[in-house]
Amino acid sequence: MTQFVQATLYGLLQGGLLALVAVGFSLVWGVMNVVNLAHGAFVLGGAYVALELHDALGLDPFVSMVPAAAVLFALGYLIQRYLVNLVVNAPIFITLILTFGLEMVLENLLRVWFTPDYQSIPTGYAQDSLRLPGDIRIPYGKLIAALLAVAVTVALVYFMRRTRTGLSILATGMDRGAARLMGVKARHVYALTFGIAAAMAGAAGAAEGAVRTFSPADARSFTLFSFVVAVLGGLGNMWGALYGGLVLGVVMSWGSQLLSGTMVNAVAFALLVVLLAVRPQGIAGKAFYASRVEV
Amino acid sequence: MTLVVEDLHAGYGRVPVLHGVSVSVARGDIAALIGPNGAGKSTLLRAATGMVRVSRGAVRMDGRDLTNAPIETIARAGIAHVPEGRRLFPGLSVRDNLRLGGWRARNEDMGTVLELFPRLHERLDQVAGSMSGGEQQMCAIARALMGRPDFLLIDELSLGLAPVIVEEIMARLGQVAAEGTGILLVEQDAGHALEVAQRAYVLENGRITVTGKAAELAADPRVRAAYLGV
Ligand SMILES: Nc1ncnc2c1ncn2[C@@H]1O[C@H](COP(=O)(O)OP(=O)(O)O)[C@@H](O)[C@H]1O
Ligand SMILES: [Mg+2]
Repeated sequence: MTQFVQATLYGLLQGGLLALVAVGFSLVWGVMNVVNLAHGAFVLGGAYVALELHDALGLDPFVSMVPAAAVLFALGYLIQRYLVNLVVNAPIFITLILTFGLEMVLENLLRVWFTPDYQSIPTGYAQDSLRLPGDIRIPYGKLIAALLAVAVTVALVYFMRRTRTGLSILATGMDRGAARLMGVKARHVYALTFGIAAAMAGAAGAAEGAVRTFSPADARSFTLFSFVVAVLGGLGNMWGALYGGLVLGVVMSWGSQLLSGTMVNAVAFALLVVLLAVRPQGIAGKAFYASRVEV
Repeated sequence: MTLVVEDLHAGYGRVPVLHGVSVSVARGDIAALIGPNGAGKSTLLRAATGMVRVSRGAVRMDGRDLTNAPIETIARAGIAHVPEGRRLFPGLSVRDNLRLGGWRARNEDMGTVLELFPRLHERLDQVAGSMSGGEQQMCAIARALMGRPDFLLIDELSLGLAPVIVEEIMARLGQVAAEGTGILLVEQDAGHALEVAQRAYVLENGRITVTGKAAELAADPRVRAAYLGV
């Protein structure tokens, strides 16, 4: 029983962080109709920014979520503006090839710059645990990571619904032509959306760096997790990313109790297959972008 | 103080639709453009607001050349287009739709348009896609007016709406024009449009075939037979 509760709690914490890992992926898919296979590489980019800042300045990885987000925002904005924008109207197959290629380039650059080895960012407290009754332990690192991640994800949702910029992004995702008729510059909105998505990934990566080891090869698992969370939550639905993250986190945590470590990705993938068969609109399932119209 | 479309040629891909159409609307006036299904009325509005390419001719507003300018540039210049099918943001509330209408002008003051269409007041928090057709049309026009445009182009306002609703909306448009906005009404069902308009054009097969004062057109036996069902 203790073990089950422990695994569930771990799963929820991990899931909170997964929500932040995936929310940008879901946003880009929902707004731009681009499945960004390089998203996982952005997450790792954030982790390596945090690693560098730790080695150079001794910065805490949770503090580095901010500079990691800033660096990745700039990178994402430029990549969209000068690369992805060229193919944003192309069939999804073309954008898949482009982002797949981008993923390979970024992953290999990480290998060259940071070696293919596993790295971790030491902190004085992340491994210490909060002890709860019933012999349940919660490592501080995972707790802080989950709380920060959920807070950032919720802030993003409010940003989208409440601010002028957020509203223009939502509108462009629903009907680009109509948004342009409102005077919204779609190109700029797309670049901004991609930048925000990369920033979220970067912040998530810095937090991941505080709680686990990572290597460039992890880019693909982060992309896979993002894919599963986005589909679980419903594309472009940012609350959905939160539910999706929590569900995936718990399922993977239960799975890891029963299966060996490398099988966890298989659990994520199985969840995706089951979901697509049973409820393709996702758990949250609001057809927010159902009425996509092209101009 | 006019929006001028001059000798406009436009189409889709290699298929020409408009063959040299000239139309002009002055600020404060209402002009009606009527014509049968497939004549190219929607294409004319799309060409005027940058949604389809113009191959020859010009679009000018107060002498400023806007031919083939990007959609958002034309919108920012002060030309609002209520497109075919209205294109509301259906998953967003009426309030958010109106906010988007005022997005470029940074106009958050909904008072004026809500006075014009009081029904929208009770609907502000309702999801736009769930309203009746008439309310959606009011929302689309209100959204366009939130940008405080100098010119308002409306595609098939009356399509699918009950006559009383159409009359209500047309009466409001009279007010809008009186306050200085130029309005171009594109209609297949010409009756109401010819009542509120000063000038009118008949577009057939991509060419203007009749033009004159709206009242004269409404009295013209050919127009009456073809577009007023008399
Ligand atoms: N998106 C499009 N692609 C290709 N042809 C189109 C498109 N929209 C309209 N057309 C064609 O252009 C012609 C004029 O259409 P349209 O401007 O919609 O006419 P109207 O609004 O007067 O009914 C029609 O022959 C129509 O089939
Ligand atoms: Mg039409």
